[in-house]
Amino acid sequence: MPEKTPIVEMRGISKSFGPVRALIDVDLKLYPGEILGLVGDNSAGKSTLMKILTGAYQRDAGEVLVEGKPVHFRNPHESRDAGLEMIYQDFALCGNMDVGQNIFLGRWPRRGIFVDRRKMYRQADTVLKRLKVDVNSVYQKVESLSGGRQQSVAIARAISFEPPVVILDEPTANLSVTATERLLETMVELKQQGVAQIIISHRLQDIFAVGDRVMVLKRGENVGDRYVRNTDEHEILRIIVSGTRETALDADEALEAAV
Amino acid sequence: MSAPLTRRLPLELIGGWEGGLFAFMVLLYLAGVYINPGFFGTTDAFAAVMRDAARFGVMAVGMTFVIVNKDLDLSVGSTLGLVATVFSIVFAETHIGAGLGAALFFAILAGLMIGLINGVLVTMLQVPSFIATLTMLFIGRGLVLGITGGKTISFAGKARDHEWFFAIGERGALGFNNQILLLIVVALVGMILLGKTRWGYETYATGGNEMAAGYAGISTRRARMRAYLLSAFCATLAGLMMIAQDKGMTSQYGQGNELIVIASVIVGGASILGGRGRVVGSVLGAALVVLIDKVLREGVPTTRIVRIGEVEMQVQAMAQLPPGAVPAFLGMIMLMAVLIEPWVIRRKLLQRAWARLRGRPVPRPVEIGGIAIVGTQTRGTVAADRALKGGLVRRFFARRDAAALILAVVLWLVGLWLRPDFWASIDNTFNLMLAFTEVGLLSIGLTFVIANADIDLSVGAVLAMSGAVAAFMMRNMGVDPWLAVLMALSAGALAGCINALMTVRFGLPAFVATLAMFYMARGIGAWIVAGRQLSGFPEVFNLIGRKLIEALRHFGLTPAPDSLLFTLSAALSVQTLFVACLAVAAGIVLGYTPIGQKVLATGGNRRAADYAGINTARVRFTSLVFSGLCAAMAGVIYIAFFRSFNPAAGQLRELDAIAAVIIGGGSIFGGYGSVLGSLAGAAVIALIRALLSLQIITAEGRSFVMPQHWVNVFVGLILIIAVLSDIWLRQQDLFGRLRRRVRKRLGLARKDAHA
Repeated sequence: MPEKTPIVEMRGISKSFGPVRALIDVDLKLYPGEILGLVGDNSAGKSTLMKILTGAYQRDAGEVLVEGKPVHFRNPHESRDAGLEMIYQDFALCGNMDVGQNIFLGRWPRRGIFVDRRKMYRQADTVLKRLKVDVNSVYQKVESLSGGRQQSVAIARAISFEPPVVILDEPTANLSVTATERLLETMVELKQQGVAQIIISHRLQDIFAVGDRVMVLKRGENVGDRYVRNTDEHEILRIIVSGTRETALDADEALEAAV
Repeated sequence: MSAPLTRRLPLELIGGWEGGLFAFMVLLYLAGVYINPGFFGTTDAFAAVMRDAARFGVMAVGMTFVIVNKDLDLSVGSTLGLVATVFSIVFAETHIGAGLGAALFFAILAGLMIGLINGVLVTMLQVPSFIATLTMLFIGRGLVLGITGGKTISFAGKARDHEWFFAIGERGALGFNNQILLLIVVALVGMILLGKTRWGYETYATGGNEMAAGYAGISTRRARMRAYLLSAFCATLAGLMMIAQDKGMTSQYGQGNELIVIASVIVGGASILGGRGRVVGSVLGAALVVLIDKVLREGVPTTRIVRIGEVEMQVQAMAQLPPGAVPAFLGMIMLMAVLIEPWVIRRKLLQRAWARLRGRPVPRPVEIGGIAIVGTQTRGTVAADRALKGGLVRRFFARRDAAALILAVVLWLVGLWLRPDFWASIDNTFNLMLAFTEVGLLSIGLTFVIANADIDLSVGAVLAMSGAVAAFMMRNMGVDPWLAVLMALSAGALAGCINALMTVRFGLPAFVATLAMFYMARGIGAWIVAGRQLSGFPEVFNLIGRKLIEALRHFGLTPAPDSLLFTLSAALSVQTLFVACLAVAAGIVLGYTPIGQKVLATGGNRRAADYAGINTARVRFTSLVFSGLCAAMAGVIYIAFFRSFNPAAGQLRELDAIAAVIIGGGSIFGGYGSVLGSLAGAAVIALIRALLSLQIITAEGRSFVMPQHWVNVFVGLILIIAVLSDIWLRQQDLFGRLRRRVRKRLGLARKDAHA
């Protein structure tokens, strides 16, 4: 693997909630165009790590670099401006607003002091077409859509400003089988467009279907990562269950050890 | 095995809070004795405090169940009043004059009916508890005034025949008033019910986490229903105690009691967020709040030296807090009590301060994750999607404000049909417009607040306070009218700021914060003007409430008679013009700018809006301040129009304004609302009020006018109907579901026929 600058790098991240230590000295690297699977048991700290990355939580220690430059996001809005988009498990959409308004939530195009409705709906339509989503109309209220379509709207919102990084938190948890398949296709397409993605999931088969690398967290610590092409679900499960920090190997070390 | 027993019990378990309350109460009583030994020093005073506390204690026992359930019952004061009214009407010889048994039966029935209605509205029909019980408060009050006609009823003579019942209000064998014994019995039963039985455990589970309790097989609906019935029953009991003591009643019975009762329960250690609270605490809280109330109302004997010419005279007087000060303080106490739990106890504020003082390591506060109080999110509006297909008519009917627009037109036509001689005249139209501007102005501000999924119950009170500020400044301080207007607007904005601070910064539910403001602002308003009516403002100021033509004339700009401008300015008033301008501006902001989109997004899903980078705290803050500002403008217009300030200004207006917004397409759960709709809603309310107070001339040539109290009852009913139809017709699409079901059944029948 040629040494590239990671587009996102987190070093030595720690975070406590009262007496509970949610993350202890965690590292993470994400390279451009890569799909990284983030796995681990419940309460392993996956979501907390991502919330620290997007600025929803503030870290106690450690640093975050985006394209090699240290950053300090105080809220999700700042990380969005820096090109990090997150798709939340419950999609975080406003049910009372329509598809177009949701895609541009918080970033409505303006003309003077007014919202430029024509531009908003036209661009929303373009994004949805690009995703090949069958949402009837950009004027439809989001709460009347099915779960899969709501997800499509959430993805459309995430990619509408062509960000370099997209983070997906349990994207398949609320989806039907066909909707899951379509989502995985979308992820591969995004990858081809050079978008780096982090996917948090309990379903290893999803990660093995599209991912390049898997990273395992356990009780707030790194316990290893592997290239998807050099490992199998069995090994990952073994790391999830019985991995420790001491025995942790990163993907390249594991590759050398195997040789 | 003895280890667990020797461990020191945590302070909470052995009643640290209750102990503290008791100590505070003793100190307060001593303060009362110090201020006025002539009253508080006697045993009579002690007995009087205990006697009055008994009634509030009984109500607090019932309220504890409701608050632990994470609900609220604002109707207890009205329930007390209504029970007393029904009893008096049935019992008194001046009215029906039936026996004691019948009187008791109907009184208790009336009380329990209110509990039942509250329970059904809140549990089965899913109306938010504060809006359901607030409406019952106003309806109950309207009924009391309507039935008694605002008069006093007395039956001291007849009471002598039924000594066993009226003995409740008398001094008993042990030297205490029997009401205190009754309180002890009720408190004991309440303690056992809440602390030891299944009912109590179900209540705590429901308040702690309703969903989890539901999954665990607890019928949370039944638990909440039960609490409302218990609360109403306790209020009924308190009403009977009051009747037994006074052997008569006034229409003021129970007014404002809900404030004292809720404050008692919260002071007694219950959490407004549910799941916490004890009967002992509530009873002690009631005693404490009643004591505070008494101390505040107590006069301090003072001696003043007055010089009349050469003679110096000593004048004995009682220095007393002006009327209105007491509710203002009580509202403040309630707010502080509500804030104690999340901000002092959970954050370990005292322990941290203590540790810092001693130089010890400061314990970390427990991090409260995210938003403290999450409101109900907006639910499905399938109806709106039908608007995508179909023509103009269909699209119009799918608008959320369609009903309000149609209703406004229909109601106006009804008025024309009832009184063709008078309805369309310039005079009546002018009056309608005036009534409309007040409600309209309040509802413009409220539209933003309600679209944000908050509520502002204080608009009517803030109207009164700002009016009082302007009136006082001009009349007593001789301030320039424009400066006075500025100060009144500042007062309204300040009230809005406090509301916003409490809801946004301190995370209180908006209805609690603004309910406290409801009492505080009205109290302060009455305080400023010392309960009097103020009038005699500069005529320039009064122009705000005049016709446009008068304003033009005043500035020497009289248009030529018979010109279009002349007719127009004769029919329009300054305030109508002002409200129209404000409405257009607010409507454009809400409907077409990013600010409006932010408001709707915040109300629709606050978390999503937060993640999308919308500063939801600022959006909600601004809306609440804007609402306060609108109320202040309404207050200024009010006193300019009437040329005087009356402390009862804006009473019940919060009801009108909320109803206007909901009728006009707003949702009580947030995320919806338009200024045009709210104005149409305000028109509906103004028209209904005008229609109900219309003089109807019957065929026999007699005329009939409905008294104002009954009109208020109707407006309360309309609010409830509006909220219900919003929840069930707009959100749940009840008609659509019925239609689909019918269609399905028809389809099945057809299939059967084919087969």
